Amino acid sequence: MAIEGLRIIGESINDSVPSTHKLFEANDIEGLLALAKLQDEKGAAYIDVNVGPRSPEFMAEMVKKVQSVTAKPLSIDTPDVATAKAGLEAYDMDRADGAKPVLNSISALRVEMFDLYSIVPFCPILLISEQMVDGQSGPCHTAEQTYEAAKSLIAVAREGGRAIANEDVIFDPGIAPIGTDSEGNLKRLVAAMEMIHADADLAGAHASVGLSNFTVMLPPNRADGSRVKGPLESAFITKTMPLGLDTIIGSVKRKYELLAPDHPAMVCLEDVLKADGFDGIMHVREFYS
Amino acid sequence: MSDPAELYDAILTGNAKKAEEITKAALEAKCDAGELLSKYMIPAMDEVGKRFEANEFFVPELLIAARAMKTSLELLTPAMAAEGLEAAGRVVIGTVKGDLHDIGKNLVASMLEGGGFEVIDLGVDVAPEKFVEAAQQKDGTIVALSALLTTTMTMMKKVIEALEAAGIRQSTKVMIGGAPITQQYADEIGADGFSDNASAAVAMARQLVEG
Repeated sequence: MAIEGLRIIGESINDSVPSTHKLFEANDIEGLLALAKLQDEKGAAYIDVNVGPRSPEFMAEMVKKVQSVTAKPLSIDTPDVATAKAGLEAYDMDRADGAKPVLNSISALRVEMFDLYSIVPFCPILLISEQMVDGQSGPCHTAEQTYEAAKSLIAVAREGGRAIANEDVIFDPGIAPIGTDSEGNLKRLVAAMEMIHADADLAGAHASVGLSNFTVMLPPNRADGSRVKGPLESAFITKTMPLGLDTIIGSVKRKYELLAPDHPAMVCLEDVLKADGFDGIMHVREFYS
Repeated sequence: MSDPAELYDAILTGNAKKAEEITKAALEAKCDAGELLSKYMIPAMDEVGKRFEANEFFVPELLIAARAMKTSLELLTPAMAAEGLEAAGRVVIGTVKGDLHDIGKNLVASMLEGGGFEVIDLGVDVAPEKFVEAAQQKDGTIVALSALLTTTMTMMKKVIEALEAAGIRQSTKVMIGGAPITQQYADEIGADGFSDNASAAVAMARQLVEG
């Protein structure tokens, strides 16, 4: 692992990744299993399994097959309750040396997924960028709303005899592409992480983001030929690990590293955090142009 | 006085301040609003789309160009109305019920506005009847549906069914997009168009307007 204390949930087996989608469409199971093996070898702490719109039965088969080639615990990645149930039922905890699977993810809009805990105890990723207030659903626009979503979801996690421990909870504050951030999403996220990190009642809970989303839609290289995405993602890690980030859903191929404050990517990140409106996007353009 | 031709470069480079200055000056000089639009502004956005398709521009460039275009368009709107000019089309856009993802939807909305369309953004988690209600207000409306989740993409079919039930499916075009959406899915549910990026969505909307 490149950064001590940072767990990677290997993101490759995901139907929304174009190259993986082709493998799914071609029913190339060997190709998919090769991705599992590669991520295992490269240090992934978990292997994510997202089968897209395919059936619960397919998810169950994939879980079994992936576990046949890796002893790493899996992340069952679906917003669909039936598909999640099938994946959890198929999961062999002994094969993963007793490690619980991750369930990616539960939000205020689908708290019924907590009911699956009685099938196989899992570590839930709690998506706290969505809220339900007075029966109205919506995205969290402020750090305070995000923090409240965390408090609200963890309360549900502890209900009904589940008593899910903080140490098994992974908060996902919802990262947005930095190249589209004209509404202060990064500010919201960082401030919310600060609030969660400072709350003793939430001590021990993990924090994670889908890090590849952060740099999606940006060019691969800066004008000087150096890379764009790896450094910006590393800058995010550098900024948020002190605020509790200890897990990412990301690529095992990416060379994540902690950056010095004067690294251009860190300077860009800090500039975006200080900017309002489209100025943040302009700072990102300055970084790669 | 600024040359109205500079409006093309101001929009292409996403310089909203410059675009505003030139547009104001052009209006004070009694320039024809329709000509500003057709000669400089729409060609600039077309060029933005071409560069995006060629991987010379990326989403940040799309967004700032669309913002510059919108800035000018807002200034031009009264003059366009006086000249009897209409928008390129009317689009009702939203993320379907159960889905709160808005980044892709917002991108498409910005680009459509930049492309000269009247855009009614219903937001996220939008129920089928809300799309119907908004589409009923004008014949020829395009309904643009976004979904990011495999569990919510099925709601797109329900919107189409609701348009049919309301008797306005024939007069309403439906285009769809989002990470799990494919042309095959669009065909399956009977959508009129699909695009996998914001720039292509504008071309698709124009195609649907032209019939």
